[in-house]
Amino acid sequence: MERELKVNHLTRVEGHGAVELKLEGSQVKEIKLSFTEGPRFFEFITRERLFSEIPKIVSRICGICYVSHRLAAAKAIEDAFKTEVPEAVELMRRLLIVGEFLESHALHLYFLALPDYMGYGSAVEMAKDYPNVVRRGFKIKEVGNRIMKLLGGKTVHGEAIVAGGFTRAPEKEELELVIDWLTEILPELEATAFLFDSLEYFELESPVELEVSLENPVPSEPSDRVAVSNGLKFTKQEFEHFIKEEVSPYSTAKRSTVNGKAFRIGPLARVNRGEDFYTEETKEVLSRLKNRFPSQNPLLANLARAVEMVELAHRGVKYAEKLIELLPFEPKAELEPGEFGGYGVKEAPRGVLYHHYRFSPSGHCIGANIVTPTAQLQACIEEDLKALAEKFSYLPDSQLKKRAEMLIRAYDP
Amino acid sequence: MVRIGIVGLTGCSGCQCEILNCEEALSKILQRAELAFFPLAKDDHTVPELDLALVEGSVSTELDEEKVKEVRKKSKVVVAVGSCACYGGVQAQRNDEASLKEMLETVYGGEKLFLKVFKPRPVSEVVRVDYELPGCPLDKRQFIYTVASLLNGVKPFFPKIPVCHECKLSETECLTLKGIPCQGPVSFAGCGAPCTASGIGCQGCRGNCDFPNFDEMVKLLTERGLKRSDALKFLKVFRGKTFNTEKLGSYADGKGA
Repeated sequence: MERELKVNHLTRVEGHGAVELKLEGSQVKEIKLSFTEGPRFFEFITRERLFSEIPKIVSRICGICYVSHRLAAAKAIEDAFKTEVPEAVELMRRLLIVGEFLESHALHLYFLALPDYMGYGSAVEMAKDYPNVVRRGFKIKEVGNRIMKLLGGKTVHGEAIVAGGFTRAPEKEELELVIDWLTEILPELEATAFLFDSLEYFELESPVELEVSLENPVPSEPSDRVAVSNGLKFTKQEFEHFIKEEVSPYSTAKRSTVNGKAFRIGPLARVNRGEDFYTEETKEVLSRLKNRFPSQNPLLANLARAVEMVELAHRGVKYAEKLIELLPFEPKAELEPGEFGGYGVKEAPRGVLYHHYRFSPSGHCIGANIVTPTAQLQACIEEDLKALAEKFSYLPDSQLKKRAEMLIRAYDP
Repeated sequence: MVRIGIVGLTGCSGCQCEILNCEEALSKILQRAELAFFPLAKDDHTVPELDLALVEGSVSTELDEEKVKEVRKKSKVVVAVGSCACYGGVQAQRNDEASLKEMLETVYGGEKLFLKVFKPRPVSEVVRVDYELPGCPLDKRQFIYTVASLLNGVKPFFPKIPVCHECKLSETECLTLKGIPCQGPVSFAGCGAPCTASGIGCQGCRGNCDFPNFDEMVKLLTERGLKRSDALKFLKVFRGKTFNTEKLGSYADGKGA
């Protein structure tokens, strides 16, 4: 018997998307995950723009992970102009990433994902019965926002983050405040990890074998090399040779593969190989969880987010302490534009992103290539959806659809 | 209960995130109003009848166009939020320079897309808009002020004074005088000028103030080291069609535009 399932508008995900599934018995005959986000032509609109304009323009790719786009662009520009940034700038960036991940992960966990597991349509409804849980989500998000506002000048799109560094250095009192905020939410972050460890995730073994993350999978630690779970490693300059993109016939996001295969990126891919890189505090939390990493269950990306928040908050305290020691410092390196190309790779909350620019002698952009997590995840989510539909084909349409949505939300493409 | 909807078209979701960031104010608003449509945060698949719709993003695809027309039909008041919805946003900055075909070829290698796409347009080019709250992203306080005003039957009002006014109020040192390129003199205030306070010139994300003197602005920017052509691009980033280079006088920088 043939069955057709359609989710026309995916909700509680960051972009716009739809799913179409055709089943015959327990066999999936056709699957289409389409991202219907309109194109914004970033690779075109950056052209002819002066290098200093680029971070500002590309931060508008994503209002949630703008820090990652802005930093990937800044790094690509510094790479092109052979500029080393001062240690303090590097540390400010790491702290900024802590802010971004706290905000993005808390938004994801408490507002997009959790309502599913608690049986609500939204966090607003959930707040009536669980006000303190929702309040915790807001509190963590708020700390992330405050850090981004402090270092970037604005909560969203932070104009103070520029190629070369920042337009303003923080003051000692401000950094001390950051330490207080982070220390204060540490128990909340651990509680988040145990809450997401206690949820009932349905069993699903992902057929996607390959996982891709930066060589150092801790998102706040810089890394110029990409690691694939089959042992392959490549540099940021080689990214386009290994990660192949093609235009999808049913999605405005391109489809990416490595060695012709779909691959997973994002929190689960990172945490699956992260333990050796983590601080003792995070290892201790990991040892007390009932779920174990590495895991092939894509839904555990939710728990992975919570683990990453614990790790990043601990690191954030250290970054801020070190920054206080370095005060006063120059928050920016001067750039000498020229005719070069440069590359930047970065772990964004949803996975690896890649920026590549070429410049004319006057420092005007003449070409750009940007690979976002959404594009890389399309093929991976489709394979997981296929496995899910075949495993749970006995379920009625409404329940099968619900599970499909929960799976897609775990990636939040 | 007043029914509010928050709708996202083509954009970065940054404005919707800023709305979610208004935690305390939102909970107060929700005592008087119901969040009846908010797909980013709720399982809402179809647009219901609304009293107030806040629309983020530019109209860039046939789906955006259908959605915004449906929202207009079902809503008493439509507010465009953010620079994408008000002016087309960063994605519209080269609309007047290139064809859609050229843009598609650069990004998608000339391959056919499965859905019809347009050059990014502001919401007001497709449907009637009652109020516009520009900014990239929108300003939280303006969002709260607008919703609170409308809930109380008051028309919100946004004086189109320049950002310089807000720098004076917050005692931020003038960046133009320090030689930093700043669009404050020609940009629409209301954000509280956070960028100038962190030492970067105003980027003009909220669009034009009343009677902007672009000729003088271009002159100031070129005096501070930008080529005329770069100064024009700098001014264009967020302004979409509201910035018309053809209307400018000719301030040659001697280096060729």
